[in-house]
Amino acid sequence: MIAGSMLSYEGKKRAVLLLIALGVAVWIAVDAAAGGSAHWSRVLARLPLLLTGSASGWPINGGFVLNIMLSLASMALATALGTIMGLATLARFGPIRVPAFLLMNFLRNSPWLVLLFATLYFLPFEMHVFGTVIPFPPFVKAVIGLALPTAANFSEVIRGAVQSIHSGQWEAARSLGYGTGQIYRHVIMPQALRRMIPGWMNLYALLMIATALATVTGIQDVLTILNTLLAMENERVIVYFYLTILFLFIAYCYPIAAIARRWERAVKGESL
Amino acid sequence: MNRVDALIELDNVRKSFGDVPVLKGISMFVQKGEAVCIIGPSGSGKSTVLRCINGLIPVDDGFVRVGAHRVHEMRSEKQMRALRHQVAMVFQQYNLFPHRTALENIMMAPIQVLGHDRAEVEERARKLLKKVRLSEKADSYPGQLSGGQQQRVAIARALAMQPDVILFDEVTAALDPETVKDVLFAIRELVEEGLTCILVTHEMKFAREVSQRVCFTDRGLIVESAPPAELFDNPQDPRTREFLGQVL
Ligand SMILES: Nc1ncnc2c1ncn2[C@@H]1O[C@H](COP(=O)(O)OP(=O)(O)O)[C@@H](O)[C@H]1O
Ligand SMILES: [Mg+2]
Repeated sequence: MIAGSMLSYEGKKRAVLLLIALGVAVWIAVDAAAGGSAHWSRVLARLPLLLTGSASGWPINGGFVLNIMLSLASMALATALGTIMGLATLARFGPIRVPAFLLMNFLRNSPWLVLLFATLYFLPFEMHVFGTVIPFPPFVKAVIGLALPTAANFSEVIRGAVQSIHSGQWEAARSLGYGTGQIYRHVIMPQALRRMIPGWMNLYALLMIATALATVTGIQDVLTILNTLLAMENERVIVYFYLTILFLFIAYCYPIAAIARRWERAVKGESL
Repeated sequence: MNRVDALIELDNVRKSFGDVPVLKGISMFVQKGEAVCIIGPSGSGKSTVLRCINGLIPVDDGFVRVGAHRVHEMRSEKQMRALRHQVAMVFQQYNLFPHRTALENIMMAPIQVLGHDRAEVEERARKLLKKVRLSEKADSYPGQLSGGQQQRVAIARALAMQPDVILFDEVTAALDPETVKDVLFAIRELVEEGLTCILVTHEMKFAREVSQRVCFTDRGLIVESAPPAELFDNPQDPRTREFLGQVL
C-alpha cells in the first residue's frame, strides 16, 4: 500500500519534470521561429567566452570553468575545516567543544554573501610570515569566504552522521575493550562515512550555486564576464544570456543532487 | 558461600539516573564456573546490574569486584581494558558491527584491542564460528543473517576475547521463537563447559535447567536468591510468587 503510493508519487514527480522540460523546449522552439534564433546565435557566439573567459575558448582565463575550479578548491578546504570542526563539536572536553559549537553556529547562520564580503575586507592583500610573502589574490579570498559557511554546514553533516549511529554500537565496542578514539576509528567513522556522503554532495551542489556570489570579489567568473559582455549587447538579448547561465548551473548541479538523493535512499534502507 | 573466593562480588551497589534510584543496594556473589540467572519484571534494574559489573555504568555507591579488579574504583579507559578482557557481554540487540563480516566481527577486538597475532586469531575465530554452527556464514555481513544467527555470532565475538565471565542480557528476547533454541543451545554448552555466566532472561524453563542459582529482582533490589528448584517451586517472597504467577 505504502510502496504503491510511493511509486505513484515518484511517477508523478517524473511526469511533472518531463512536462516542464517539454514546456521549455516548446517555448524555445516557438520563440526561435518568432525571431529568437538571431538572439540565440549571439549567445552561441559568446559561449566560449562565458565558459572559459577567452573568446576562442582557450586558454582558460575564467568563466564557468573558473566557477567549477572555485567550487572544487573551496570544497576541499571546507571538507578539511569541517572535519576538524565537526570532531571538535563531538569532543567530550568542554573547552574544545563549546567554542567549536559556537563558531559552527555563527558560520551556519550568517548569510554567505556577508561572509564573503567579510573575508574580502578583513583578509589582507598579502601576509608576511617569517620573511616569505603569502599573497591573497581575490580568488584565494573567494575560496576561503565560500569555504567558511560550507565547512560549518559540513561539520553539522558529520555530527548528524556520527550521532545517527545506534548507541548499542558504542556499548558493544566498549564492552570489547575499545577506547573512545579506537571506537571512532574502527566502529563509528566507517559507518558514519557512508551516511555523510549524500549530505556532502548536496553541500557541494549548494556551494557550486553560491560561487555566483564570488563575482563581488572581482574574479573573472561567469557572472563578471557576463556583466562586461552585456554592456555591448542590446537589451533584448540579456534574457537569453541569463537563461543560458541558469541552464549551465542547473546542468552541472542537478545530476549531483540526483545522485546524492539516490544514495541517501540506499543508506536509509540499510539495516542498523 | 564464601565471598572472598567469589569471582564476582557486588556489595550494596546503588545507582540512580538523575533523581530516579534504579539500584537500591544490590549484593550478590558469583563463584567461578557458576551460572546465575537474574529474572524479574522489566525496569527492575537487571540490565543496569550487568552494566555495573563490566564498568559500562559507574556505580554511585557500593563495592564491585571482578577477579582482582575493583570496578567501583576504576576511572580510566586503560584500567577498564583489562576488565573488559576478563568480562564479555552479549546484548539483546546483538550490536554486531554492520560494516564487517561475521568473521571480522569476531576477529576485530582480539587484534585491535588485545594485540593478538592475526593468524592465531583467525584460527580461533573459525573454531568459534564452528562451535556456534555458523562456519558457512563467515563471510556474511550481519544484515544478511537472521536474528538468531547474528546473536550466535555475537556470542562467538564475546568468546574470542577469552573471557572468564560472560554477561548475557536478554539475548533471546528479540528473536523469533524458532531461532531461540539454537541460541539457548549455544549458551547451554558454554555453561556445561564451566564458563562463568550471568544471564538475564525471561526463559524460565531454560533458567531452571541451566543455572545453579536464580536471583529475582524487583524495583532495584534482589528480593530472593535460591537454587532454581527452590525458587520456582517454593518461592518465599510474595513478590516472587506474584511475578512467577504472571510468567509461568
Ligand atoms: N541510561 C539511562 N538513563 C536513564 N534511565 C535509565 C538508563 N538506563 C536505564 N534506565 C532506567 O532504569 C530502570 C531500570 O532499567 P534496566 O536496568 O534496563 O531494567 P531491566 O533490564 O530490568 O528492564 C528503568 O526504569 C530505566 O528506564
Ligand atoms: Mg534490560
